[in-house]
Amino acid sequence: MAEYLLKMEAIEKSFSGTPVLKKVDFEVRPGEVHALMGENGAGKSTLIKILTGFFPKDGGKIYMDGQQVEINSRNDATKYGISAIYQELSLIPTLSVMQNIMLGKERTQTCLLRSKEMKKEAQQLIDRYGFGLKPDAIVETLPIAQRQTVEILKALNGKSRLIIMDEPTASLSNKESESLFQIIRQLKEQGVSIIYISHRLEEVYRLADRLTILRDGARVAVLDRKEIVPKDVAVMMIGKALNEATASENLRPPKPEVVLKTDRLTRKGVFQDISFELHKGEILGFSGLVGSGRTEVMRAVYGADNYDSGTVLLNGKPLPKNNIGKSISLGFGLVPEDRISQGFTPLLSIERNVALTNYDTLSAFGFVRVPQEKRLGAKMVKSLNIKPGNPLVHVGDLSGGNQQKAVLAKWLSRGLNVLIIDEPTAGIDIGAKDEIYKILENLAENGTSIILISSDLKEVLRVSHRILVMRKGKIFTEFSEGSITQEDLLMAESGITKKGA
Amino acid sequence: MRQENIRRLISVISLLVLSLLFGLTSSDFFTAYNLLNILREASITGIIAVGVTFVIITAGIDLSTGALVGFASMVCASLVYYYHPPAAVVMLVALLVGLIGGALNGFIVAKLRVPEFIGTLSTQYLFRSMVFVFAIRESGVITNKIIDDPNILIMGGSIGGVYLVTFAFLIVAVAGQIILKKTKLGVYIYATGANSKSAQLSGINTAKIRMIVFTITGFLCGIGAIFEIGRIGSVTTDLGTGLEFQIIAATVIGGCAFSGGRGDVFGTVIGALFMSVLQNGILKYNFPTATQLIIQGVVIVIVVVFDSVYNRIAQKRLQEQARNEAAELLAGGEA
Repeated sequence: MAEYLLKMEAIEKSFSGTPVLKKVDFEVRPGEVHALMGENGAGKSTLIKILTGFFPKDGGKIYMDGQQVEINSRNDATKYGISAIYQELSLIPTLSVMQNIMLGKERTQTCLLRSKEMKKEAQQLIDRYGFGLKPDAIVETLPIAQRQTVEILKALNGKSRLIIMDEPTASLSNKESESLFQIIRQLKEQGVSIIYISHRLEEVYRLADRLTILRDGARVAVLDRKEIVPKDVAVMMIGKALNEATASENLRPPKPEVVLKTDRLTRKGVFQDISFELHKGEILGFSGLVGSGRTEVMRAVYGADNYDSGTVLLNGKPLPKNNIGKSISLGFGLVPEDRISQGFTPLLSIERNVALTNYDTLSAFGFVRVPQEKRLGAKMVKSLNIKPGNPLVHVGDLSGGNQQKAVLAKWLSRGLNVLIIDEPTAGIDIGAKDEIYKILENLAENGTSIILISSDLKEVLRVSHRILVMRKGKIFTEFSEGSITQEDLLMAESGITKKGA
Repeated sequence: MRQENIRRLISVISLLVLSLLFGLTSSDFFTAYNLLNILREASITGIIAVGVTFVIITAGIDLSTGALVGFASMVCASLVYYYHPPAAVVMLVALLVGLIGGALNGFIVAKLRVPEFIGTLSTQYLFRSMVFVFAIRESGVITNKIIDDPNILIMGGSIGGVYLVTFAFLIVAVAGQIILKKTKLGVYIYATGANSKSAQLSGINTAKIRMIVFTITGFLCGIGAIFEIGRIGSVTTDLGTGLEFQIIAATVIGGCAFSGGRGDVFGTVIGALFMSVLQNGILKYNFPTATQLIIQGVVIVIVVVFDSVYNRIAQKRLQEQARNEAAELLAGGEA
């Protein structure tokens, strides 16, 4: 047997001229858990997508067991025993555990399925790995964690030797995560290799035999188990040069008056005892890992979702629960995370999209006041520098950054008290990012209070006055301006306090 | 109890309640003659609904079934009128026309990737226009001719009071349920509808599966045509008009979801019986035709609305359960 089960050599990949992977090497030994870490945009998922045949590589070689292989499709990957378990599970919800495991590999005898035999086979597979699953259970009735084990079994039944797990614990509780770790250890004993992608330092610290860190499309380190020190890993992921990026100096300090205040806001199983204050003209960063509950808290504050207990006060007066219309009329705005499906109407022009939130003032007796609509559209296009500068262009035809500006324009045109903005720069190029930050800063200066939810640490640090870190549905810690580095933030997200590390 | 079993119980109970309602208010509802008639009425709808059940489980729809029955029937009527072939040939032609029509649907939908609704709506028009092409004409005028071949009319007959079409329905339904639950094809039909991407990744040729279910449906339309001719003894140009909606209503009442992956033939049989009991029972009250149609429509709307409300509640309950589990772990599990 070769030393490495998988060896990727000098893998290169660019998207529209921008290099995403720059001659990356990556090796996985037989029967090891190999963690892959890096910030958003470091190139982890691109590397994995090349390995599983979703993207063709631009350059480099892939070896399995020392033999060079070409992986051009998902089927090729399966042929070489590589399978990936994604967060969006790929099971058939209305079929049973057994039917899912055996899907595509059914045993038949003169047309009829040999259900008993297949059930026995599935049961053996379940028993071999000690998973507590019933072969007859219908997948959609199982909790997420068990569905994940079904998916693992399906991969194992396909004779997988290398299983890729992408943030497998994101939607799992602690207890469920523990049983997943147990399963991972069993797989390892059976000689299966695992590539474990996670943002959670503590998991990697516990599980990984080795760790590869990617940064800006290049491999910066390969560490053995004993070399993995959380603090060092954090530094390596971020890189030295960026360590200085602390809160922006352009920010004007907020006014003392409290605009928004929540008190022990709780939604069972989603978030718990969330209390915070937002001042006039303040930008409050809300950070935390995906699944920590940040988006859900903000949806509840905004009135898009219900909550079980607690209060939300706007300028000292309680805000009604679950009433978006009321929130908007009181000067709330929400720019959702999923810009494309929730933020705008792609087949309408920029001016129509901007007008959508403003028809209370832009219409008379049910008719649109077209001249005013046009004036507002032109004004927003100009003031936000949306390109191309034509208010009649469909928003769907704009670039990501300009789409986001159009979404902002929808709300900015109303003169907001509170703007909640979720991942404002995801998938947007650097130039446009800066423009969006400037827009946010201007807004804050003019008295709007902003809550910024973001996974991008640099972004949170650059534009926030204060930062709250959420973890597992609770506020874990708070940082105020100047006292924080990316490292602190990264470790707080994983549940490590400064002193503890 | 599983959600689907509860749903099934509800549809069986509503069928019984409806029957009881008609039985108690009308003296000739629970007679052997009437019940056998109800079964007969349910049978043609039901036979084709088995195929449409397959289609809907793959998350598809077939709007062309009624027109295809009309087309196949008319081809047979012309054949008999002009050439007098043996009955077996006529029946074979009916099956062949159905098979080809279904395969055409499958080709348009699965291979040319036309959305089901548009694709089968177009073939509905195509098949209906073919009815006129094949219609029997006398000096240029479409004429309705009696089919007098006793070997064909025998298909409208009965054995011991039970109509042949009902036996056929029983056979088709049992075969359909076996295909769905006991064969690879059945599993693949569910997989295609519930999560076609994942099915493809598991090596299932979903285009082929969709092609197959449409072809089966077409073939069953051919069977339906044979019994329609046998029952009526002649073919008009509007034969089968609106049948597709009865069929779809039967499958939906039986628990098929348009989103795919759910439902089975047993449910569809209940649905077909429900539709037939409803029609038969209303007739007994001597309402004007318009009133009958209104009542039918209202009942179907009620059932479908109930179904969607029920599904939402069931879904909510599942989510609630998951949330509570998560809450427990969140409260106890923080390290």
